[in-house]
Amino acid sequence: MQTAVNNILARIESVVLGKPQECRLALACLLAQGHLLIEDLPGMGKTTLAHVLASTLGLSYQRTQFTSDLLPADIIGISIFNRDTNNFELHKGPIFSQVVLADEINRASPKTQSALLEAMAEQQVSIDGETYDLPAPFFVIATQNPLFHAGTYPLPESQLDRFMMRISLGFPDISAEKKILLGNNDEQISRNKGDLQAVTAEELTLMQKHIQQIHVADDVINYIIALCQVTRGQIKAKESDISCKPLSPRAGKALLAASKAWAFINNREFVLPDDVQAVFSAVCQHRMELTAQDYNATNAALSTQIIQHVDVLKPLK
Amino acid sequence: MSIKHSKASAFTMSKNCAWLFWVCQLLNISSLSIELSAWMLGILALCLCWQALILSREKRLTAKASTAKPLQKINLSFVPSLFLKLLAISGCIAIAISAKQFGVLISMVHLLAFAYALKAFEITQRKDFYQHILLGLFLLASALIFRQDLVFSLWILFLVIINLAILHQVFAKADSVAKSSKTVAIMLLQSSLLAVVLFVIFPRLAPFWQVPLAKSAKTGLSDEVAPGDIANLALSSELAFRVNFNDEKVPLYSQLYWRAMTLENYDGRKWTRAKQDKRAQQISRQKFSPITSGPAISYQVFAEPNYQPWLFALSVATTTNSKLVLNRDYTVQSTTVVNQPISYQIKSYPEAPLALSISQESRQKNLSISKGSNPRLEQLASMLKAKYPDHLTLAKVVENTFRNQNFYYTLQAPQLINNSLDQFYFDTKAGFCVHYASSFTYLMRAAGIPARIVTGYLGGEYNNISRQNNSNQTGHLSIYQYDAHAWSEIWIEGIGWYRVDPTAAVDPERVSSGWSTALLEQQSELNGDYMSLYRLKQLAWLNTLRLQLDAIDYQWTRWVLGYSSKQQYDLLKRLLGKEVPWKAAALIAVALVLFMGLFTLFNKISFIKNTLNKKPPEQVLFNKCIAALNKKGIDKAPYQTIQQLCFIVSNELPQSSSDFTNLTTTFQLLRYQQYNKLERQALLTQLKTEVNCFLKGVNQDNTKLNQKTSPL
Repeated sequence: MQTAVNNILARIESVVLGKPQECRLALACLLAQGHLLIEDLPGMGKTTLAHVLASTLGLSYQRTQFTSDLLPADIIGISIFNRDTNNFELHKGPIFSQVVLADEINRASPKTQSALLEAMAEQQVSIDGETYDLPAPFFVIATQNPLFHAGTYPLPESQLDRFMMRISLGFPDISAEKKILLGNNDEQISRNKGDLQAVTAEELTLMQKHIQQIHVADDVINYIIALCQVTRGQIKAKESDISCKPLSPRAGKALLAASKAWAFINNREFVLPDDVQAVFSAVCQHRMELTAQDYNATNAALSTQIIQHVDVLKPLK
Repeated sequence: MSIKHSKASAFTMSKNCAWLFWVCQLLNISSLSIELSAWMLGILALCLCWQALILSREKRLTAKASTAKPLQKINLSFVPSLFLKLLAISGCIAIAISAKQFGVLISMVHLLAFAYALKAFEITQRKDFYQHILLGLFLLASALIFRQDLVFSLWILFLVIINLAILHQVFAKADSVAKSSKTVAIMLLQSSLLAVVLFVIFPRLAPFWQVPLAKSAKTGLSDEVAPGDIANLALSSELAFRVNFNDEKVPLYSQLYWRAMTLENYDGRKWTRAKQDKRAQQISRQKFSPITSGPAISYQVFAEPNYQPWLFALSVATTTNSKLVLNRDYTVQSTTVVNQPISYQIKSYPEAPLALSISQESRQKNLSISKGSNPRLEQLASMLKAKYPDHLTLAKVVENTFRNQNFYYTLQAPQLINNSLDQFYFDTKAGFCVHYASSFTYLMRAAGIPARIVTGYLGGEYNNISRQNNSNQTGHLSIYQYDAHAWSEIWIEGIGWYRVDPTAAVDPERVSSGWSTALLEQQSELNGDYMSLYRLKQLAWLNTLRLQLDAIDYQWTRWVLGYSSKQQYDLLKRLLGKEVPWKAAALIAVALVLFMGLFTLFNKISFIKNTLNKKPPEQVLFNKCIAALNKKGIDKAPYQTIQQLCFIVSNELPQSSSDFTNLTTTFQLLRYQQYNKLERQALLTQLKTEVNCFLKGVNQDNTKLNQKTSPL
């Protein structure tokens, strides 16, 4: 199973150059059955990453480019009257696939964005009073531009909360950028789509089940709780007050699941506080940020601050 | 040697510590300085100066070399080891040569001090340092052979604390000296509890080997006395012995004639003890039990070591102590030389007569004078003898002449030519007790009355501060060397030996209450001692303080130094009632069981406490490692995970990195993985060995991050 993980990672990294940490995080998110939000400037490889993730995992995927005039029906589908059968027929939208790539999700209007809400949380959609189950596994990989870009609608908190992780890629280093400039990655992807697949859907399900059984010691649970409590002010921060939105139990659950997946990727059968720390920023940053405006200024600092307030060996005093 | 130095295990200590170590050596040696000869002191001082030189040079060098090589060792390898060996050998030869003059004990002490000073140049490894500290403690213990009084014992205790504090300091570098000493003092205090219990109840066995005799020239009474001798003794305010009268009334000062020995032989110049011939020895070997009558007083005497066999008691003394011998001249003697403080119980009958009959031999001895040595006295004697046939009347008449004629009691007696008693009696008329006693005795002998000189002590200082408040116990008497005295005894038919003290006639105050002010002034003038008795007595508060100190010292002598097996037995008897042995055994057994019970209970409690505090064993072990790292200057921030710490360690302490990685892996498994009991146990033992391995490695590695060290 570990070789499969390494395979996946190798393939992702062969396409997304110079970003091993982000690739791992993205993979961890999907292995933990969470939805992934990739946020960055245009042209940083967000779509590429989303693409390659879907193809390496061997899942059926649909890509939707979100625009400001996109309607909910465009995503989930619509019933159209068939004159031949005298019946309403359901035309399923792009959401009925295992991986949904929602490109530039924050360009759509709030109404459209919230159409995704039910799908992401319940893994089902309702069209004209009928409920349809979505295929399993079901992931939403969304990309978004930074909020200060023109023509963006900030995602509501309720929706942000449904994404397990938010990662941003950042600029590549020199050697990686050289390779990007010299190579022709986009063509490679489209050409080798079939070659990229590393695991079958069944194997993926097996992995996900395995991850759920990874042991989490009491100490690690306590550690997660303590981290959440710091954001809630239940554990008093010493020097300066940390101002952030409190983490919900769902956030804690997401943190735990992501930690487990991270431990699995690192070939371990139990979770360490290191795993929690590794995924903490990706899992919790977008749930804690106070205002949309200063999201970039204190990007890393907020989660680092919170981590520094908790004693690893004695999380709950 | 040089290979050893380059090893990582080489021993270094910080600069402050090295200096403290030096001071400590100085103090240790100085506590023995009185016993050491001048040349040895010179060598020791040289060694210490040399060390100081190296240390200060080291300071300069490190200042110059600054940060470039902060851990470089400039060892005492400056001292060529060949030279050191030569010095050691020649020193040993010198000690061996002078051993005859010193005696075994003193030469061994010389050797010890010499070794102590030289070993300091050889401290290259940790074990050398341990050895040196142990030697220092041994040195202090041997200093206690020579002096055991309270002040000195406290001083030695203080030095022990300093020695141990250095030991602590070297390995707990972060602590200040004061903090180290405090820690050590607290630990000593804790252990002293056990020491006190053992001191009180542990059976006091006779030593398997005896400390060799110290041939110390101590002030005290000598077995030969010439006029002017005791006057020298009178300048010393050293303690001779103490007496505790328990519940009884202290006799009048003028009755406190502490007999030490009788001097019966007179050679015209000085008085000596009668040499016993073989027959007399045989007689004395049979036990002599004096005839006693009249009221008795019993008391306990605590004698200071005087390196002579004789002891002190009031006449007529009896004792049940098997270590004491009662002589036929009514003096008390120890079977061995008194070289350590001893205490003994005496029962005296002051009104009982001494020897109602004496042998012809003894009468002859006590009548012998060298004819013609003092013709004028002989003439006077024969004149008096014709005038007063009754011996007692004659003695009284002579005593009266001392009183009525212009005799003068002084410490500064004029020199007599050939110790001529004639000159004293008829011309100079000034002298100390021996002058009076010997001229009186000579006069008596010349007049045909058996007479002899008795030396001992008169009086004593009464101190009632030591008295316990709740009981009706009286205080104690302290008798000092300046209380030394000589008087006469004449034998009279029907009365026995009769005490006549001609000094009483000359200076009644001396006999009734002690030294007169004039005499004290003279004493302080003569011995030039600023803190002399006279000055002390002038200031009331100083005198009270002196008496207080004397009382404390008395208790120290009585309860600590004088704590013999008999006293132990008495104490246990008082505590336990009758049938001491089995009760004591039971007590010891109970105490042991109780102690062990408490110990296990304590362990259990701390174990429970640990589990309550959620401190599982692996955490305790890991905390040790964190503490060790802390000493090395690596702090674990609370938010740091173990792997992060591991990373730091591998950067900062590359030697111990693999050990640390191993142990953290095991620790993480124990802490975050799920195991059954057996597996946990196995992992725990594994962790234990790994932690020990790591700690050993870290401790051997003497480098401390970001801190300069200096070697010694």
